[in-house]
Amino acid sequence: MFLLAIFILSILVAIGSFALMKRRREYSIIASAAVMVLTVVYSLIHFASSYSGGYVSISNIALSPSTGIYFSTAVTGFTAWLLILGTVIIFIATLIIRDSKESKTIYSYTLIAGTGLYGILISRDFLFFYIFWEVVLIPVYFMIGQFGGKNKDSASMKFFVYTQFGSLFILLAILTLYNFYSVSHSGLLTFQMSALLNTAFINKIPVLWKDFLIFGFLFGFLVKMPSFPVHSWLPDSYESAPFPGTVILAGGLSVMGGYGLFGILLPVSGIFSTDVLYVLIILGIVSLIYFSLTAMFQQSLKRMLAFASAAAMGFVTIAFGAGILEAGTISASAYASANIYNYTTFYSGILELSGGMFQIVAHGLIMAMLFASLYFITERTGKQTIMNLGGIFREVPVLSSLFLAGLLASLGLPGLAGFIGEFSIFVGSFQAIGWVIFFIIFGMIVTASYHIWAAQKSLFGPYNETLGKIRDINSKEISILMGLLIMIFIIGIVPNLVYVPLVSYIAHLGGIGAL
Amino acid sequence: MFIYAWLIFISPLVGFVLSYLVGIKYRNWSGIIASTSIGLSLLFSYLTYLQVNAVGPIHESVHWFYSINYGIYVDHLSLVMVLMVSFVGLMIHLYAMHYMGKDPNRHVYFAETALFTAGMLGLVISSNLVFFFLFWELVGLCSYLLIGFWFFKPNAASAAKKAFIVTRVGDLLFLAGMALLYTHLVGFNGLNGASPLSIPYLIDNAGLVAAHVGKTTLGIVSVLFLAGAAGKSSQFPLHVWIPDAMEGPTTVSALIHAATMVTAGIYMVARLFQVFQASAPFALESVAILGAFTAIFAGILGLVVNDLKRILAYSTISQLGYMLAAIGLGGFLTIGYSGVAYGMYHLVVHAMFKALLFMTAGSLLLAMMELRDVRRMGGLWKRMPVTVTLMFIGAITLAAIPPTAAYFSKDAIIDAAWTYFTGSGFGFISFLPWLFLVTGALLTVLYTFRMFFLVALGKPRSKLAEEAKDPPLHVQIPLFFLAAFSLGFGIWQSHFYDYIMPSTPIPSAPIYIEAIPWAFIVIGVAVSYYLYGTERWKHFHFAGNPLYRVVKNKFYIDYLFTNIIAERIILPLSAAFSTFESHYNTSVDVVGRDTMKLGTFMRRIQDGIIRNYFVVLISGISIIFILMEILRLI
Repeated sequence: MFLLAIFILSILVAIGSFALMKRRREYSIIASAAVMVLTVVYSLIHFASSYSGGYVSISNIALSPSTGIYFSTAVTGFTAWLLILGTVIIFIATLIIRDSKESKTIYSYTLIAGTGLYGILISRDFLFFYIFWEVVLIPVYFMIGQFGGKNKDSASMKFFVYTQFGSLFILLAILTLYNFYSVSHSGLLTFQMSALLNTAFINKIPVLWKDFLIFGFLFGFLVKMPSFPVHSWLPDSYESAPFPGTVILAGGLSVMGGYGLFGILLPVSGIFSTDVLYVLIILGIVSLIYFSLTAMFQQSLKRMLAFASAAAMGFVTIAFGAGILEAGTISASAYASANIYNYTTFYSGILELSGGMFQIVAHGLIMAMLFASLYFITERTGKQTIMNLGGIFREVPVLSSLFLAGLLASLGLPGLAGFIGEFSIFVGSFQAIGWVIFFIIFGMIVTASYHIWAAQKSLFGPYNETLGKIRDINSKEISILMGLLIMIFIIGIVPNLVYVPLVSYIAHLGGIGAL
Repeated sequence: MFIYAWLIFISPLVGFVLSYLVGIKYRNWSGIIASTSIGLSLLFSYLTYLQVNAVGPIHESVHWFYSINYGIYVDHLSLVMVLMVSFVGLMIHLYAMHYMGKDPNRHVYFAETALFTAGMLGLVISSNLVFFFLFWELVGLCSYLLIGFWFFKPNAASAAKKAFIVTRVGDLLFLAGMALLYTHLVGFNGLNGASPLSIPYLIDNAGLVAAHVGKTTLGIVSVLFLAGAAGKSSQFPLHVWIPDAMEGPTTVSALIHAATMVTAGIYMVARLFQVFQASAPFALESVAILGAFTAIFAGILGLVVNDLKRILAYSTISQLGYMLAAIGLGGFLTIGYSGVAYGMYHLVVHAMFKALLFMTAGSLLLAMMELRDVRRMGGLWKRMPVTVTLMFIGAITLAAIPPTAAYFSKDAIIDAAWTYFTGSGFGFISFLPWLFLVTGALLTVLYTFRMFFLVALGKPRSKLAEEAKDPPLHVQIPLFFLAAFSLGFGIWQSHFYDYIMPSTPIPSAPIYIEAIPWAFIVIGVAVSYYLYGTERWKHFHFAGNPLYRVVKNKFYIDYLFTNIIAERIILPLSAAFSTFESHYNTSVDVVGRDTMKLGTFMRRIQDGIIRNYFVVLISGISIIFILMEILRLI
């Protein structure tokens, strides 16, 4: 019930924020911090030591049993980390809202987006899953539309229509499942994931419909990741969105896409044919290289980071494809006696699959840090193109160092979170895809190049005197960035904090039917 | 038993944090704190030395994530390295307190060098390749930060970037090697509970691993590791970043780009020698050839540059080539692991004299206001007697003139190369290392004394040189230690060899072969004195010579990387992708707009006139009926 209580609290604070006239900033910071802290406490209780895979905090609230509508919730080790990440991201987003008279509603939008994200991650019922999926989009749409920068109208419209288009396919896929389940499988009407996500059942669906629903899910999730070639909403939305919106886009939406792959589809990995998996791997690699090369050519740091974010999510797609390809069907029997500390028996696919999930968490934190520090830079200099900055290290050494730290984390420097995920995916996928990893190496070299190049041009070199005198960040702002950096660092140094729940989650996926 | 080895790298880590935090307020304390922490590392290294003598190699490993461990592994090889790194690091830190004494950001400097030292020491004693890689990148990061320490200099910022990206290429190939090895070792029964990338496991069971993985595959793994080593230790063709890295403070060049970090690649090959040895012969052959080739290649480049620090940088690359070649020579069975002993001995000796040379160069540059052109120096022996005498000691050691330590270390390598040639049946390939190395010896003498004579002899060729003065004597104390080592370390040659591998033979060659390097020393010193000891060099003009132009342009390797690969391939590729992206993006917008137009058009159908709706309704139904009739007919 603890989990539900947190969730209900997050709904209430989001609604409550509309009623508030003054002190919205303090209110939403405290509210999001409360949700974050409670989520961390919750995760500590359930996942710190005793978690051994499967679902915890299972609850079913019957709303309309005759039509099969339940509000079911449950959390795994994977979703627990996504919940922590999501709440951290919302907390950071509220912290970097530029406070002004007009910005009253943006706090509420941020909190609603957080609630939606929370709902997606804990729902074990497709109906509510889909409702919350939509709930996230609307506040982000308003955020871009009302508080965005350049081209905010077209950007917000594009964002909404594009991602809505993706969601539509998810809805159709869900309805397909729903229909076939009641018509040809059991006669029961249900939206329960535990019932619908059943490999044996899905494999019995006529092949055309089965392909359609696989396509629908993948399309919807890949749009959110985003993956090539369904990424067109990304650059404009990232660039136009206000910084809190960008943080939610980078951290939150990629979590939705990643959760879709690893939380929804991984348990039924048996439904994928190898062709689909190869397509996914190729899309991942193409995303990595394509976005990296595109990022290299961007003038705007914000746009560059947007592509960097998408490139990093390419690793997640690769991990998903390669992991399932290597493991074959992930079933209970394959990992029945999995002792994750026993190196003499290896379970193929675990390394890159958990690496892929790790990457989602790491990527969210790193991007939050990068966009938050870029917000501080932009706020001070009024500039966010590389050429208009230059040498700001002289004036704002602390801010520049933290931004540099974010860039280094983003390019996968060991000791920081980004490395563990990329290492696991890189090393793990070797078995599935062999020397194709040289394309990944190429992508990683390009990634390193433009990150370092951007640092050189914007932070180092002679100071651009036209920027005038700018002040370094104050201790409050330092603590925001340092908090993120410390998290990134701790996860990079003690990866088992994240890794053990993830490995347990995968190793016990076969128990999915038990819910 | 308390394991001191952990403290070896934890102590400078603490020093890193403290020297920064204290340094924010009290700048002068940061250097003291950093030096103390490294002094403590030296102490702990010594205690570990005693411990290893008592109980043998120390190995501790702790589960890190998935199948990867972290931990420490200290044996004789790593002890040699930690003792060298902490000793040289301490000397350089002490000197840096003078050299960086007036820099406003010296607390950042000392924090970063302390972090670097921690990384280097951690790298040396880490027990798992992934943990090793963490430190490997950490030292790379510190190198990046310290090259760009004077970040406002565009050259420094650009050199830092170059260093990072070039080493990153090597690092990722190293990572690919790890991936290949890991993939083949997963599920191998012979692991017996070890992590697949555990260093002690790999070196103790190299034969077993080779049998399981396959010699050729293991050879590919080794070559990928070698690529990583080439990036870090700046071997051909990834050597391009070191000369530019000289834009950093001179003490950084001494610490990172001469004595310690650049030897990390050599150390990695030495550490994993058993893996290289167990794999197909081409692995160690490529190590030997690459090292020997780099030795001569960088020697040639060192002849034509005029920047004092860059001359030293090329000599570093060249000497690293000697070390790598020595290890590669171990591919020949009768040399075997002795090759590692020869290489490591040269590595330690080199660290001493190269740190000495760089720090004397630092004193010179302080006096010369960072004017680095040797043609503008001259006559400094009279003006800075102590510094230049110390530099002389460094120079004769670099040139391997007996009885300096490098004479023992380098001649051993050249003689071993001769054994390699004669022992393996006089093949052409096995002749190359000796040929390159012995020619490299001549080049070493030439560029060393060209530099030294230009600096020390003749008349001052600039106002700054006329007014140059020695730094105070007490700040030079660390240099005396290093000079003493450079001169006297040779007497420990056989002890050192035996410490790395018991009863290592000291290589020898027929007297007419051994005489060649001696003859080269005489010729080299004579030629450089003839040209550069006097003012005769001013009358020689090479500029028009095409060969000279090729060398001066560094054989166009930098041009290839920067102007062709980066600017003509990657950048246009990036531009093309970016253009495609913007067109693709626009086309999506167009689809969106057209859909909206379609909506506008469709809206007209719903005009609210019932009559029209009826027409559509009736015609629709009619069409359906007609279609059904047609379908029935078919």
